[in-house]
Amino acid sequence: MIDGLIMIVLILIKLGVIFAVIMTMAAYLVLAERKILARMQLRHGPNRVGPFGMMQPLADVIKLLTKEDFLPDRADKWLFLLAPGMAAVTAILTFAVVPFGPPLQVFGHELPLVVIDLNVGVLYFLGLSSLAVYGVALGGWASNSKYSLLGGIRGLAQLISYELSMGLALVPVVMLARSFSLTDIVLAQQAAPFILVNPLAFLIFLVSVVAESKRTPFDMPEAENELVGGFHTEYSGMRFGLFFVGEYINLVILSSMVTVFFLGGWLGPLLPGVIWFGVKVLALCFFFIWVRGSLPRLRYDQLMHFGWKILLPLALLNVLLTGAVLLWSRT
Amino acid sequence: MLENYLPVLVLIGIAVAFAVGSVVMSGLIGMKKPSAVKLAPYECGMPLVGSARERFSVKFYIIAMLFILFDIEAVFLYPWAVMFKRLGMFGFVEMGVFIAILLVGFIYVWKKGALEWE
Amino acid sequence: MATVLFYLLGLVTVIATLLAITRRNPVHAVIYLVNSFFALALLFYLLGAPLVAAWEVIIYAGAIMVLFLFIIMMLELAPTPEADRMGPTWWQWLPVLLLALALVGCTLMLIGVDAGVAQGVPRWYATPRDFGFALFGKYALAVEVVSFQLLFAAVGAFYVGKPERKRRQKKEEGA
Repeated sequence: MIDGLIMIVLILIKLGVIFAVIMTMAAYLVLAERKILARMQLRHGPNRVGPFGMMQPLADVIKLLTKEDFLPDRADKWLFLLAPGMAAVTAILTFAVVPFGPPLQVFGHELPLVVIDLNVGVLYFLGLSSLAVYGVALGGWASNSKYSLLGGIRGLAQLISYELSMGLALVPVVMLARSFSLTDIVLAQQAAPFILVNPLAFLIFLVSVVAESKRTPFDMPEAENELVGGFHTEYSGMRFGLFFVGEYINLVILSSMVTVFFLGGWLGPLLPGVIWFGVKVLALCFFFIWVRGSLPRLRYDQLMHFGWKILLPLALLNVLLTGAVLLWSRT
Repeated sequence: MLENYLPVLVLIGIAVAFAVGSVVMSGLIGMKKPSAVKLAPYECGMPLVGSARERFSVKFYIIAMLFILFDIEAVFLYPWAVMFKRLGMFGFVEMGVFIAILLVGFIYVWKKGALEWE
Repeated sequence: MATVLFYLLGLVTVIATLLAITRRNPVHAVIYLVNSFFALALLFYLLGAPLVAAWEVIIYAGAIMVLFLFIIMMLELAPTPEADRMGPTWWQWLPVLLLALALVGCTLMLIGVDAGVAQGVPRWYATPRDFGFALFGKYALAVEVVSFQLLFAAVGAFYVGKPERKRRQKKEEGA
């Protein structure tokens, strides 16, 4: 009984810490992004609130909370309310299957550093990311504004196109690891991380991930200078905040996925696993910000061409290639 | 059994509570001064022209259709990938034929210009 | 426990589907249908087929419903929001809230049940591995047939979507 209680308390603490860390990371990623972008453009970035602008995220939250949260006249009421919630919730839920460290020993209990190690973890991730498109599509449609609708439709087409190559890039990973469990996938990389074993799959996955996170150079759904704000043009206050936070949580989660699938997850010499995991995720986040600072936005036709005519055939070819190499190396 | 799935439920609870809570908070704290102009859809400050419920290019329909086809292919690939070692040569040839047949359709649609955005 | 859950999930699926059929606003109908597919996915999970449950979410809820949304938006099928405003608004919320609550309840109970080995449902648990082996070993021919179907679907989809293109070209030539 007491054992069970300790277990439950441990689980609750673990979840609380995970949630707090994700939220803090998302909040400070916003600041980091603004700071790093500013430096790349020879500016200072936010530096007024607190030392080095460290309190900026807090100020942003207070600002969003006190903004008027209005419902546009012609909007479809309940879909308008539902859409940002869906965006944020699907983003948070994806983290359930991410293993971020080797199991810990606490009070004689084994505490796995993953919310749940599903035996269909990869499919859980893909399923949730296929549901995540509804936030964009419904938000854009329900606002009943031209910019929102255009952003929503563009976003929908972009997300589904790149979801394909993202999913197909994971097939070689599953072939190599012979399991859908993310923990098994990490453990299968003990000899060499999959980025070295199958660099092509890594590249395809990385590009698809940038497209899935709707960031420059793939930020067509919200392109500020043509669509104002795209699918969230009509959103204000915390409902806009949910879209915004969801996007940054998504960035953290997608970085974690790249880490787990290709960079060997928590594996690494000397330092404890959790630290290695954190370092890899942060490095990837920095990479995404760097990409945003360096690359211009693609045109929509270029985006679709790239997704369908280059990434998709390449991903399929890579699956067959990996299969051939695996068969050949066995005999 | 409960121990295994409890965390996910709690996570769902936290996520939903966070989403609902922040919107409710925003509604309570934020000011409320709606006006007809403010509630109108944004159109760069100009008076509204037409409706936002416009028809749009059929191209998106073809993209969505192709997406379904390749998504189905992808879900066939996953159980195949996880069993790849045991299925061996037979499985490899089988999936090779599967992908080849689907690629014929893809190349046909491609050559016919379904993927061109003008 | 599992039997109760089975019928409860079945009920949620049926109600959500009925609501999907009766909604005047097609986008709302799509949301109810997604709800119903989700309940179906949980049902598959309960019956010991996690892979089929994942397929249900990825293909039906994630891909086919997206196509539906596209078509609804494309054909301008949705009624104007003014017409939608008739009647008390909380009334519109009630069914989806109840269904969502029922789903949460079912998920809660599902956790209490060991999937697949509980009484009332067959004692069978198809792991993704077993499933893949059966599918690609025993039913290899069926897999190839599916690929032919997909080929036909690709060509068919292209021709269904084509006419608008020709008309527009003609118009441009005329002008």
